[in-house]
Amino acid sequence: MDKQEATERRLSREHLLRLAAAAGGAGLLSRADKAQAALDWLNAESGRLQVLDWAGYGNDGGQAMFAQYVKTHPKNKPQFTYMTNESDALAKIHAGLKPDLFRPYVGWVKYFATSGLVQPWDPKLISNFKHLNPFMVKAGQYKGKQYGIPDDWGFDAILYRSDKVTPKARSWGLLFDERYKGKIAWFDDLEMLTIAGLYLGFDKPWRQTDAQLKRSQKFLMSKKHLVRLIWSSETNLWEAFGSGDLWIAYAWPNDWVQMKKKKLKVVYMRPKEKPIAWVGMFMLRKGSPRPNLAHAYVNAWSSARSGKWLEDNYGYGHANTLARPSSSDLLKALQLTNPKAVTEPSAHLDRDIPRRAVYARMWEEVKAS
Amino acid sequence: MAIADAGSSPGHIPRRRRLRVDLTTPTLLGLPLAWLAVFFLVPIGIVAAYSFDVYSLDPGPHSFTLTAWRDFLHSSVYLRLFWKSVRMSLTVSAIVVVLAYPLAYYLALSGTKRKYILLLLLIAPFLTSYLLRVLAWKVILGNQGVVNTFLFWTGLRSPDHPLSQLLYSRFAVMLVLGYIWLPFVALPIFVSLESLDRRLLEAASDLGASRLQAFRRVTLPLSLPGVVAAFLFVFIPTLGEFVTPSLVGGANGYMYGNQIVDLFGTGFPDWETGSVLAIFLLGVVAVLTVVFARFLQPRQVAAD
Repeated sequence: MDKQEATERRLSREHLLRLAAAAGGAGLLSRADKAQAALDWLNAESGRLQVLDWAGYGNDGGQAMFAQYVKTHPKNKPQFTYMTNESDALAKIHAGLKPDLFRPYVGWVKYFATSGLVQPWDPKLISNFKHLNPFMVKAGQYKGKQYGIPDDWGFDAILYRSDKVTPKARSWGLLFDERYKGKIAWFDDLEMLTIAGLYLGFDKPWRQTDAQLKRSQKFLMSKKHLVRLIWSSETNLWEAFGSGDLWIAYAWPNDWVQMKKKKLKVVYMRPKEKPIAWVGMFMLRKGSPRPNLAHAYVNAWSSARSGKWLEDNYGYGHANTLARPSSSDLLKALQLTNPKAVTEPSAHLDRDIPRRAVYARMWEEVKAS
Repeated sequence: MAIADAGSSPGHIPRRRRLRVDLTTPTLLGLPLAWLAVFFLVPIGIVAAYSFDVYSLDPGPHSFTLTAWRDFLHSSVYLRLFWKSVRMSLTVSAIVVVLAYPLAYYLALSGTKRKYILLLLLIAPFLTSYLLRVLAWKVILGNQGVVNTFLFWTGLRSPDHPLSQLLYSRFAVMLVLGYIWLPFVALPIFVSLESLDRRLLEAASDLGASRLQAFRRVTLPLSLPGVVAAFLFVFIPTLGEFVTPSLVGGANGYMYGNQIVDLFGTGFPDWETGSVLAIFLLGVVAVLTVVFARFLQPRQVAAD
């Protein structure tokens, strides 16, 4: 146990007062269970749970996934702030937002674990934890501590209109195909440099050298004239893709589901360079005044029922291994029976980028070019 | 009468009364000045501090440095984006002023009794949300929008080949910005024209000037302060615009303001570079305002 942890565990004056009050209450009531009730009441976390999450995962359609939490904690309903990516979440926290929990993806576990902004979870407080995919659980650990609780997972791949587009190959190259100028959408994230690296055949796209990064950036800049939209909001993508403004897009499984609902002829292509897989990781902000509520919220999200709903409605996978979608198409498309669908040889699991700031700056320059 | 006397010869105001007047002015000015200081100057100071790395998101040690400024001034990418935005804003401002002038001219000088009703109609869109007005253009300009549907209906375009440059383009940004800012331009020109002394036009006519000559030699020069003010009203905010480009601009309509927002948010975040871009924009706008303010000549207008 390190010094800091020892300090945190030391009984504070507030705790002593609480215990004294509970002991007094126990003496008066002369019953152990009433003393426990008094202690619980004194320890009760108050206020609404503050959640920083992605659009679609809050009160804007994702209610089914935390319904159990709302049922058991009606006085502490979640209050949502939305993030467009992890950098956005980081900026919001730096600007003073104090969420109890938020959801970066697997590539950010190390970054946040070492940032001092988050604290490890206590898996013992999450009853559904034992059903979570062990590989994904491990991906949420840093130095043996569980900083991320895995929940949703999926892929970054390519969505295209099969009635309009004929790919030359199953490749990320479709995002850079000159034949479809003005019909292509990229995603607004530095990950585009990783994708360029994959396409250009670099062995470590997440750890590109300066020369490789420069080449990836130059390549993206040279292809930017083909791009109609660099999206950061899925609804924006759905609207443009649905109306025919776009035929090809960097996309997530949910985008494929949504476009199929619009009766569009769409294919979700797994490129030969392999898709990039992601796993959503709930993280607990250090200093959160509602850690127990946060654990309860994550537990609700981690249930098989929530997982099934997520798979059926969003087309994303879920870390709960008991969750199964109703549709066999989805089961097949997402390889939900494959416990390692998110990693080699199926996909590249997203990972830490040691020089993230350099990547970010170069991506911003691509957009500005 | 006593007040009039006091106003005309302040030397005769009793000492106690003068003291009260002296206190009233700073009291009245104090609140707005404090407001400006707290909500304008201090935030700018903080942003400037970030640009020099005096403040930083990085918890490690940091001190005053010009690195971000040096990188910015050597970055052809950001400066090129800035000039692109300047060009777009200048184009929008110029076109909107040219379009708004005849409109304001008609409203101010036609003598129609309904001019205030027409003016109200002109500013009616302001009664709806800015966001709604921008989003409405998506319905109009999209591949399945009003314009393309009309073109399909008339047979001018086939449904397989819609006019796709209408939305998610630089054109879309300039069109929507022009629409949004048109009333802002028309109003100052209208005020400027309406306060015009009509006797000057009669005199020009009496001296043999044609209507065109009277407009060119009298009306236009006297309305120039309004035109310049209107131009500034559009140019300054559109230069830092980011909402409209993010909704209808796509990759091609990306502007300098979007870059600032992204650097503060989704782009890792890099507040240092974002602050440099913001302060640079502020500086350019301040210089332009000073330069253009010379054309406004408020004292001369007041004297006229």
